[in-house]
Amino acid sequence: MTAKATHGTLTRALEDYLETIFRIMSSTPVARVRDIAHARDVRSASVTPALRRLSDMGLIDYARREYVTLTPTGEQEARRVYARHCVLTRFFSEVLQMPPDAAEREACAMEHTLSDDGMDRLVRFFEFLGACPDATPGFLEQFHQCSLVHDDVPPCPNPCPASNEKSRHLPRPRPSKTLFDLKPGEQGTVVQVNAHGGIRQRLLDMGILPQTRIRLDRVAPTGDPVWIELNGAQLALRRQEAETVVLEVS
Amino acid sequence: MSSTLPYKLHGKSGPIRVALAGNPNSGKTSIFNALTGARQHVGNYPGVTVEKRIGSFKTDQAAFEVLDLPGTYSLSSFSPEERIAQDELIEGGHDVVVVVVDSTTLRRSLVFVAQVMQTDANLVLCMNMTDEADKAGQRIDLDQMQALLGFPVVQTVGHKGIGTDGLVRAIFAVAKTPSINHRLVLGERLETAIQEIRKRLEEAGRQSAGLDWVASRLLIDDRHFVDHFRNLDERGRFAVEEAEHQRRRIESETGRDISLFISERYYGFVDGLLGEVLQCRPRDDARALSNSVDKVLANRVLGLPIFAAVMYAIFWLTFTGGEPPMGWIESGFSALGGWISGWWPAGAESPLRSLLVDGVVGGVGGVIVFLPNILLLFFGLAVLEDTGYMARVAFLMDRVMHRFGLHGKSFVPMMTGFGCSIPGIMATRTLENERDRLTTMLVLPLMSCGARLPIWMLLIPAFFAPSWRAPMLFFIYAFGIVLAFVLALLLRKTVLRGKDAPFVMELPPYRMPTMRAVVLKMVERAWIYLRKAGTVILGISILMWFLTSYPKKDAYEVDARIAAGTVQMTRTEIQNARAAEDLRYSTAGRIGRFLEPAIRPLGFDWKIGTAMIGAFAAKEVFVSQMGIVHSLGKIDDESEGLREKLAREYSPLVGLSLMLFLLVSAPCMATIAVTRRESGRWKWALLQLGGLTAVAYIISLLVFQVGRLVG
Repeated sequence: MTAKATHGTLTRALEDYLETIFRIMSSTPVARVRDIAHARDVRSASVTPALRRLSDMGLIDYARREYVTLTPTGEQEARRVYARHCVLTRFFSEVLQMPPDAAEREACAMEHTLSDDGMDRLVRFFEFLGACPDATPGFLEQFHQCSLVHDDVPPCPNPCPASNEKSRHLPRPRPSKTLFDLKPGEQGTVVQVNAHGGIRQRLLDMGILPQTRIRLDRVAPTGDPVWIELNGAQLALRRQEAETVVLEVS
Repeated sequence: MSSTLPYKLHGKSGPIRVALAGNPNSGKTSIFNALTGARQHVGNYPGVTVEKRIGSFKTDQAAFEVLDLPGTYSLSSFSPEERIAQDELIEGGHDVVVVVVDSTTLRRSLVFVAQVMQTDANLVLCMNMTDEADKAGQRIDLDQMQALLGFPVVQTVGHKGIGTDGLVRAIFAVAKTPSINHRLVLGERLETAIQEIRKRLEEAGRQSAGLDWVASRLLIDDRHFVDHFRNLDERGRFAVEEAEHQRRRIESETGRDISLFISERYYGFVDGLLGEVLQCRPRDDARALSNSVDKVLANRVLGLPIFAAVMYAIFWLTFTGGEPPMGWIESGFSALGGWISGWWPAGAESPLRSLLVDGVVGGVGGVIVFLPNILLLFFGLAVLEDTGYMARVAFLMDRVMHRFGLHGKSFVPMMTGFGCSIPGIMATRTLENERDRLTTMLVLPLMSCGARLPIWMLLIPAFFAPSWRAPMLFFIYAFGIVLAFVLALLLRKTVLRGKDAPFVMELPPYRMPTMRAVVLKMVERAWIYLRKAGTVILGISILMWFLTSYPKKDAYEVDARIAAGTVQMTRTEIQNARAAEDLRYSTAGRIGRFLEPAIRPLGFDWKIGTAMIGAFAAKEVFVSQMGIVHSLGKIDDESEGLREKLAREYSPLVGLSLMLFLLVSAPCMATIAVTRRESGRWKWALLQLGGLTAVAYIISLLVFQVGRLVG
């Protein structure tokens, strides 16, 4: 990598900063520290050490403290990272049909690890899709309508080995219920915990996580909270929390 | 880095410092008691231990100091207790950390052990309640377990003191020679992430102790740690950024969010360990007996009526069972007063005699006389807690509590508030959400506390026929509860608006309470009451005696009128009239009269006003104060009980208005001080003081005025 040749390794965090600066500079001549902080969703004070390291590596010009510009090496490096980002985003959203924000996230995570060779091949694949006269027309559209990609699409009348494969590996979805919907005495296996933040952490701490078997013992006088048993311990859970726990009923 | 201890053990003076950590209900407190013999709270409700408790003990070889950490299910710093436990484990500098686990819920308990292992503590694992686990047929290969974990594993039965010697030996052994404490490796992916973050943390100058734990907290995005390192310096910020990257990597690689991923790895570790050491699994029907009891007590239909009956029975016992011993104490104190009076020649006027007999003996005696009631009530509550019934009550009551903006767990602090508001308010720490905690704390003084029991014992028989007394007591308690709910709802709609805390509560199996634990708890709480009688109330009684005796009047109007020949009176009547004039003239009388216009609409006279001044210092002072205020008007030996006196002077309507006012109005000074301490702000304490007094005024005003109209 080019950056290695200069000073030290370009970490992922630094690559992200470089990319951010590059994006800001594509609309304005210089990037202000404040804008960088804003774009990265951190405080200005947090940006400074990263900028200092980039400056030490000779990738940015950071002498005037408030404004940042990319050095030629820095710009080259930033373009490399940014190009990966764009290609990957396109791949996930256009080819694999992910929602734009999810595609963006995937790209953010992968852009740092994709090798130059991998990148090169991906770019060529895109060129092939757009330009090759011999490619079967409309094959990408067919792919997008295939039941292999979308679960809600009915299987096509002409089953291929791949779709058989899929039905063999993915178990037929069993009826799922939330913990709150169980009847006293009924059991199930947790498949998902949809709570967030502290509630989620507390449920996990109490052992409510996927694969755990839970039995509903009884409910309080008005049906809420519910009384459950798991791992030999008994717990009480309110409706609010119980409804976030999705179970596969056996 | 297998056993890096951040603190020096060898050649240091002072006791060996031991911390006890563990899940709520693991019997940690009973282990603490077995070790130190300290007299303190042992409950069966999750989260009874909310305070920092320290005890000590000695063996032939060394002295030990034991800290009982709050019971927590994890170190995720979800509640104040978890924060305390985590800070103590990382920064407390304990020589030995004993993790106490309930052997019957090993799978969950060992996850906590795994977390503590990451803090690099010098560990001893105490497998408690092995008798229950044995009974359920569980068999553990202890040698294998010690070998795999690298630190001693001891089996105990805390409340019977079984295994305590072995635990002490293990503590001493690891204090002398630190345990190996194999480093916890939670899979390759997590290990890589933790190593990377550790590197950054080491660069940031962080010492090696507990580094795995700190790294995993950064990885899981714990605000406490993230903010700490972010504000530290740029190297700290790099550590945070590294953690962010590792988190994103793991989440995108595994398709799981980090908290689920880490929890799964912990459980993976525990399942692996249990697979190696569990020789016999516990039978499925281990809790069969407890479950069949719950079929009745926690029954959807029967549960609440049974609970109401249980509470009524406890109040009935308190009222009826306490009557005979109260009589003995009463006659004891009057004998004491007579004996002290005998020191002076008959008929002699002496301020000292008056101070001792009326002030000290009368004041303190008037409080101690209610000790039998208090002991009975505390005994009943202790039994409910130690059997585990309280947790069922929280389950049954949560819906109602929740509807009024409280939490099922608020119920136990509120029940404790029936004993005394102070431990009740302190017990609100078991609530995880600050708003729940504040709401509970602010309305908690409406739970009629033990100190108010004497007031009801005085007033109810004075104004109501025997058949109405128990229902009336029940009504007062019920009124307090209902009003607490209404005010809680009001608070949650106004100053304490916000989201609810999760309700995830453990229901431990029913356990036979040990007499020792119940009696210890009862005595401990009664002692708080008695200590108050010996200190605050003694002081207040003397002060109030002074306020009611001075300044003295030189000439009486009644004498002047008799001299003028306008009235004819007996000797007794004259002395009565003089005493009444004395009291009016005294400082307390002046304050009472000053307040009278304000409290007149509630049906109260200046005597009640005077007694209520004392009640702010401590509620039960009201009784002794009423005694002094009224006995000053008594001159002959023809003993007339205070109750009869009250019944003659006030109507039952005033009695009711008075009881409601005393129930609702300003809690005692100590309660205000504790609310200030626990809420951290004067604002809340003053809101409690002012708000409750205002509400009390309105209620008494309505009751008295409407009652007078109705007749």
